[in-house]
Amino acid sequence: MEKIFTTRSILLWILFAVVMCAIPFLAGKGFLRICIQAFFLAIYAMSWDVLSGRTGYVSFGHPFLVGIGTYATAILSYRFDMPLIASIPLGILATMIGGTILFLPALRIKETYFALVTLAFMELIYQLTQVVRPDLTGGTRGISGIESITTGAINNYYLSFGLMFIIAFSLWALMRTRLGNALSAIGMNEEAVKGCGINTTKLKLFAFLVSALVAGIGGAFSVHYFGSLAPRNLFDINFLFTIIVAALIGGSSTIIGPMIGALFLTFLLEYLRPWVPGTERFFIYGIVALLLYMYRPSGIYAIFWEVVDKFKGKNASSIKDSTSIQGVK
Amino acid sequence: MTQVLIQGLMLSGLYALIAVGFTLIFSVGRVLNLAYGAYLMLGAYVYYYLVQSLHMPKIAGMVLAIAVGALAGWLKYKLLVKRLNGDAVAIEISTLILAVVLQSGVVLIFNDSSKILLPIVNGITRFDGVTITHNLLTASIMSWLILGGLLYFIRYTHMGRAIQAVSMDTKGAQISGVDTEQVNQLTWMISGALGAIAGVFFASYTQLSPSMWVTPLIIAVAVVIVGGIGSIVGSLIVAHIIGFMEISVSTFIGAELRGVFTMLLIIGVLVIMPKGLFGREEL
Amino acid sequence: MSVVLELNKVVKRFGGITAVNELSFNVNKGESLALLGPNGAGKTTIFSLIMGEHRQTSGSIKLRGEEISKLGTHKRINNGISRTYQVPRPFNELNVLENIRVGMMPDSIMDMIWKKSDEKLEKKLADNVGFSSKEYYRTPSELSMGDLRKLELARTLATNPEIMLLDEVFAGLTVGEIEHMSQLLHEKRKEGMTFVIVSHDLRSLEPLVDRAVAMTFGHQIAEGSFIDVMADEEVRASYLGE
Repeated sequence: MEKIFTTRSILLWILFAVVMCAIPFLAGKGFLRICIQAFFLAIYAMSWDVLSGRTGYVSFGHPFLVGIGTYATAILSYRFDMPLIASIPLGILATMIGGTILFLPALRIKETYFALVTLAFMELIYQLTQVVRPDLTGGTRGISGIESITTGAINNYYLSFGLMFIIAFSLWALMRTRLGNALSAIGMNEEAVKGCGINTTKLKLFAFLVSALVAGIGGAFSVHYFGSLAPRNLFDINFLFTIIVAALIGGSSTIIGPMIGALFLTFLLEYLRPWVPGTERFFIYGIVALLLYMYRPSGIYAIFWEVVDKFKGKNASSIKDSTSIQGVK
Repeated sequence: MTQVLIQGLMLSGLYALIAVGFTLIFSVGRVLNLAYGAYLMLGAYVYYYLVQSLHMPKIAGMVLAIAVGALAGWLKYKLLVKRLNGDAVAIEISTLILAVVLQSGVVLIFNDSSKILLPIVNGITRFDGVTITHNLLTASIMSWLILGGLLYFIRYTHMGRAIQAVSMDTKGAQISGVDTEQVNQLTWMISGALGAIAGVFFASYTQLSPSMWVTPLIIAVAVVIVGGIGSIVGSLIVAHIIGFMEISVSTFIGAELRGVFTMLLIIGVLVIMPKGLFGREEL
Repeated sequence: MSVVLELNKVVKRFGGITAVNELSFNVNKGESLALLGPNGAGKTTIFSLIMGEHRQTSGSIKLRGEEISKLGTHKRINNGISRTYQVPRPFNELNVLENIRVGMMPDSIMDMIWKKSDEKLEKKLADNVGFSSKEYYRTPSELSMGDLRKLELARTLATNPEIMLLDEVFAGLTVGEIEHMSQLLHEKRKEGMTFVIVSHDLRSLEPLVDRAVAMTFGHQIAEGSFIDVMADEEVRASYLGE
């Protein structure tokens, strides 16, 4: 195993955990609820990043993955009275299995078309949820009154933060191994990775499975926090857009970037609420994201390190080792 | 049966019109412009604003809608596509973001409720018990005329041949003295203009809403993928396959399932025959 | 002398075009074979057929007597054949050592995660092809064409091949770099590596090879010692335009 855990990085992670755990003592419930939303978005964005940020296989179908997890656990617990301790793992499992069966053929095709197939999947599933077994899925109206895991903003804050923290830390460690190098290399030149004697299909499938696992966890837990689901909110281009934008403006293929991006986006939205209450917020999001993507494709995280380095008077290029490199450009 | 035939034919005409602008960009620039659907939305809203709010004549509304579409196409090329320098994945992502920006821009101006666009051409004809709205009939006749004109333009004019040359081999065309920059600008403008016309007819066939760009985009994507590399004739054939398939599905199985089969077609063709029904050199 | 690589009546058609037509040749262990022919003769196609990047229309390709035509590229590489490309394909955002690291990676996800990369060996490979220690952390955009070929070679060597297929190794190199590259290939030959080399630089190629196969339009037109093949009338007519 590579030398992943430097003293400095471990200290930073601990510091991060301590600061975030202290927030409930300092902030009100409203603030905590915003944080919870941000944490779930961060989970989706990291899930997207593991697959798309690294390998360049851009998934436009992440809402579809999140949706499988969400629907599976919601239906099992709400319609069949299954306890959450069983329905949530089954929901996550369903995401991995369902996602793999459907996406596996798509991983054989080239990047650009992969995005389109996943987009088609999302629209397909949206239309199917409305017509196939509406007695289970709740049709267009979805399901509400879903059992919650725990009550109160503080409990849910710790639960969702715990999930995000574990996922972020594990993915970060995983991507610092040679596996991370190999996945980034696929994004740069897949043929050349094959030319190194590596079965890229296997690697992509692994990245996909990890991505589906994380998306499934996010989906399954979030539905028991929000208590309801509706197909139009789930299988929606705006939802897809929020996930991708969070990952991109944070800094794709860094894991930490998408987490920062999700927090940034959610809080930006909250503080813009007095001025732009509705869907218009996507207008501002989108413009910010587009400009950042066009002119600073490495995202906020890289900008942060550049500033830190400038402050220390170090050469800016030395950050390349610590932040790794963005795969999607 | 007559009904399926007539409605299928008309819908296919509309779909061909929707897809052709997308195909054009795909064959010349080899990029998937996911904001293509936004041209349709822009065109439709401009027309709606001018004709139904300002009460301008329909023809003026149409012309201005086309102009806005062409302008949008040109701007998109200049500000976005050119800068990203042919990076297909980046263009895909940024055009998707752009589409969402435009959608919310429309919400900002017109709010997010759906609106009815009055038929561009009034009146109906009954034929063998089938009701044909003159509006959709005009749309499909228009689309045939436009497609015919486009084919003529591409095959027989100097500029059209240049477009063809660039679509086959950009570098080769450049060496032979084709101004690829000019060709690209023109193609993006034509694509935007075609999108805007298609948008006006599509909105009068369905309705006007800020999310109206998604369905036509998927139809256009389906046509390009299933038809193989941006051949206009291939697109035409596939537009008919999809048009007839949707009408048959909604007549014989159920209207709510019509989109499902289009999606299944995209997925199925990409996965089983990655080269498309009419071949594509490389995927 | 034992045959390691054996092509038997290999045919490859792209649509209506026959790129390789019933081509047969053997490569012996430890031998260095030149593949000669004008542009478009099908040399690169043969490399991609041997590597499994394209599948031959008919005919067989055997490695150490075993048919490999059904194996995927990565399996063939793990069985000891590797190639370089006419146009080097570095990983643009990884530095020299990281590029080599990808070449050295095992084809097992668990090993990638749990086993440490061998930085010493990475550096040794980089030194081997002539990188200085201050170039270790440069990215491909900071490298010259010669450096990119060296990097490509190092990454190919990192897959630990027994047979190397080299496509236009000398193209775009300066005189000094050609000399260095020849030196390196000589050393590898002494270590027992088997080579198949395509190059238009006949002067640099000649001392490196034992034998040559000449082809044009996908056909084989001559086989034998380098000098004999170059003296062949048909070869001179097609290759040198005489």
